[in-house]
Amino acid sequence: MGMQLDDDQIEIIQEFVTESRDMIEQLEPAIIELGQNSDPETMNAIFRLFHSMKGSAGFLEFTHLTRVAHAAESLLDLVRNNEIELLPEHVTLFCAACDFAKDALDAVDASFSDDTMSAAADSISAQLHLAIDGPATSAADPQEDHPTTPVASEPEPVFPEMEITEEMRNSFVQESGELLQHAEQGLLAWGEHPEDADSIGDIFRHIHSFKGNCGFFGFAHLEKLSHQMENVLDRVKSGSRLAVDNPTEQLLVSLDLLQQGLNNIAEGKEDFIEDLDSHLEALKNLMTPLLGDLLAEEGVDKLAISSAVEIQKKPVGEILMQQGSATPEQIANALKRQQESSDEAKAKAKPVTRSKVPAKRQDIRVELGKLDNLINLIGEMVIAENMLIHNPDLKGLELENFGKAAQHMSKLVRELQEMAMSIRMIPVSGLFRRMIRLVHDISVKAGKKVDLQLIGEETEIDKTVIETITDPLVHLLRNSLDHGLEPPAERMANGKSEKGTVKLSARHEEGEVWVTIEDDGRGLNREKILEKAISKGLIEGDGSDLTEKQINNLIFAPGFSTAAQVTDISGRGVGMDVVKRNLEKIKGKIDITSKLGQGTRINLRIPLTLAIIDGMMVRVGTTTCIVPTLSILEAYRPEMEQITVTPDGDELARVREHFFPVVRLHQILNKRPDSEQLCNGILIVLEYQDSRFCLFVDEILGQQQTVIKGLSDFIGTVPGVSGCTILGDGGVSLILDVGTLVESFDSKKELADAAAISKGDE
Amino acid sequence: MAEDLSLNGPDNEDTQKDKYLTFHLAGENYGIDICYVIEIIGIQSITEVPDMPAFIRGVINLRGKVIPVMDVRARFKLPARDYDDRTCIIVINVDSTEVGLVVDEVSEVADIPESHVEPAPRTSKNSDNSYIQGMGKMNNRVIILLDVHKLLFSNEMQRLIQSDGDEE
Repeated sequence: MGMQLDDDQIEIIQEFVTESRDMIEQLEPAIIELGQNSDPETMNAIFRLFHSMKGSAGFLEFTHLTRVAHAAESLLDLVRNNEIELLPEHVTLFCAACDFAKDALDAVDASFSDDTMSAAADSISAQLHLAIDGPATSAADPQEDHPTTPVASEPEPVFPEMEITEEMRNSFVQESGELLQHAEQGLLAWGEHPEDADSIGDIFRHIHSFKGNCGFFGFAHLEKLSHQMENVLDRVKSGSRLAVDNPTEQLLVSLDLLQQGLNNIAEGKEDFIEDLDSHLEALKNLMTPLLGDLLAEEGVDKLAISSAVEIQKKPVGEILMQQGSATPEQIANALKRQQESSDEAKAKAKPVTRSKVPAKRQDIRVELGKLDNLINLIGEMVIAENMLIHNPDLKGLELENFGKAAQHMSKLVRELQEMAMSIRMIPVSGLFRRMIRLVHDISVKAGKKVDLQLIGEETEIDKTVIETITDPLVHLLRNSLDHGLEPPAERMANGKSEKGTVKLSARHEEGEVWVTIEDDGRGLNREKILEKAISKGLIEGDGSDLTEKQINNLIFAPGFSTAAQVTDISGRGVGMDVVKRNLEKIKGKIDITSKLGQGTRINLRIPLTLAIIDGMMVRVGTTTCIVPTLSILEAYRPEMEQITVTPDGDELARVREHFFPVVRLHQILNKRPDSEQLCNGILIVLEYQDSRFCLFVDEILGQQQTVIKGLSDFIGTVPGVSGCTILGDGGVSLILDVGTLVESFDSKKELADAAAISKGDE
Repeated sequence: MAEDLSLNGPDNEDTQKDKYLTFHLAGENYGIDICYVIEIIGIQSITEVPDMPAFIRGVINLRGKVIPVMDVRARFKLPARDYDDRTCIIVINVDSTEVGLVVDEVSEVADIPESHVEPAPRTSKNSDNSYIQGMGKMNNRVIILLDVHKLLFSNEMQRLIQSDGDEE
């Protein structure tokens, strides 16, 4: 590829990189699946992906990438035709090829060239070729019970009774739809500028890919039609004259037919195209019959014609006459016939009219920044709407019509907000599928047999959330595989199946998304955890007073690891605290349940969206704050006799048979409340993970949906506060962080106590 | 009261050169390079944030954006003074961090060419000198030109946030 790239080329390359990355993401899980059960369907899917990558890379002249993809494709082809038995090494090799492709794509992304990958390409393709040549050199292999004769590769079609799943069908429809659209745009552009040879090349490529896809899925009608289109385009590409000056119209009609067929497929029907033959005929008529063929029909020696074509500088007819191979009559006849058929085609091509068939579904790629801006703007709008509807100027006025209009607007704004949120939501399948590779790699390294089950892949989560939980999920899976699951021998000894099961599931529950990792391994060992925690000084006493949950939560302490030895996969004790921190960042929670000897279940509870929470507005003195409704259990006005003060000065409030510590909000905010007396205010019972406490406020003002805004980076994190929101009157209100409230209160109290002692006053 | 000073135009560079927004603080004149200034707003209700050093007054809502507000008097450990109708918040943007500065009174945009700026005197007694970019001379007046980077991001600032936050 030349050094000078214009913007278009760069764009094409970037598109190629993105597409190929997507492809590899799909490839990896498929390859691993292949290692487990080599059904022809997966095999074909993988083959197709490598094939496409080879094609695109070849087109863009990324030779190293092409080389590797080609080698991988060849090896797969052999496997597919049962000429080589699929060995685990092959799977590893394919994975390595994927890794190489990823690196190469990174290189391409950075420098628009894969030249730096030359050495890596050499090594990987050498390995692949070795694997391809494998059976030939190891002819003595006892496994090979039937000698491979050239005829042994059965003449049956390459794709035997492939079952097309709904998912494959959908992605086929989508992909092909895009191809058709590109082709259509290309055609339209070419119609305007017929001299532009590049655009024809593009169209040809799109149609060619489309044909390939159709052929692969066995959609014969589509394939036939696109094949014919390809022929026409090929003619144009090689510079031959067509029967009509501008074949665009006819080609567009054919494109529409293809789209129609595609729509039929999308609806689960056959790829039936009405009057296929007549359309094929029409396309064929576009191509002027080759003069040589006509001459042959006139009885001219074929050899002479082909040699004449070789030196076709002058008109063919003239040359033939000079050679004496043809009489002027013959040539005149042929020319006349060529003219006739061209006229005929023109006549046929004229009355064509286009009827537009709309595509079923379209996707666009949008830069994430734009989307974030949109969502921010909508957030602003929610605030502005609040400011408008609850405008102090309107207080006390009876505005019936205004009320109606305001209600209508609120509804629209709410819908708009939901829509914007849903745009950001993407299914977790991409994330889950990445884990397949991870599990494969670890299980090979750790010598364990694992059956990974993915459930609820279609569950949608905010994109940012997915990014944040990727690392935690990797950590947790590693832990499950490395510490949780026992080696096969140990499992057998314990009466379990040799293969361990790890379930990764996602679902919507209680207004949250729950991502669960479940294994049937040895479970958490209470004694070991306690022992470790005591030795690390994390708990006081022997821990006998701790609940199961509290003990399980100990593993999230920094530097905590019960693994007897550190493996190269995990066990260094970093990780679980990172998991916890990452989840706290997105206001998520972790639940662990575990039964010794039966397995562990880790549940990540993640809020649906990061941008909006349901909040209860509370007041202390002149200040208002928001308490997240999710943490609120109940609220009540306490009676004097419900409050107990311990000798330490801690206040406890009785709620039925439980006592909860009281946290005074005015102390945290350093504000003057209406009254310091607990019975003059309201106690809100809050729950965070296992601890419950009562928050003392003056008054509850009401509930509202609030848009979360971060406090400025300049301020950093503030204990007890998770962010802020803008109220209807334009004021800013803090959103309380229930999790850190307790901690910040505790540390404050200690400081206050220390200060009281040193100063000698309260 | 709001006055948009952000200049957008091709001649942006030229018109902003050597221009400083000057303000009063406890009887002295201070100046900030105009290119950092986004706008000047009147004092408005500030939401306090717990666990902050005294000079971080809290946050305000600037047309949907939540920005922190720093009391420059408190920052320089000058005696506190009640806010009145002359008190202003100068909103500045430094390295894409927006911060509001509470000052006693905004005076004018002054043109102080480089030749009229002298380096800050080195007096070891007062560590706050490090926020001084230079001393500008204008007729008979002296204008203390502030280095906003240091004002906002100096290590001391971070330390103050830490320690003050704990004491509070």
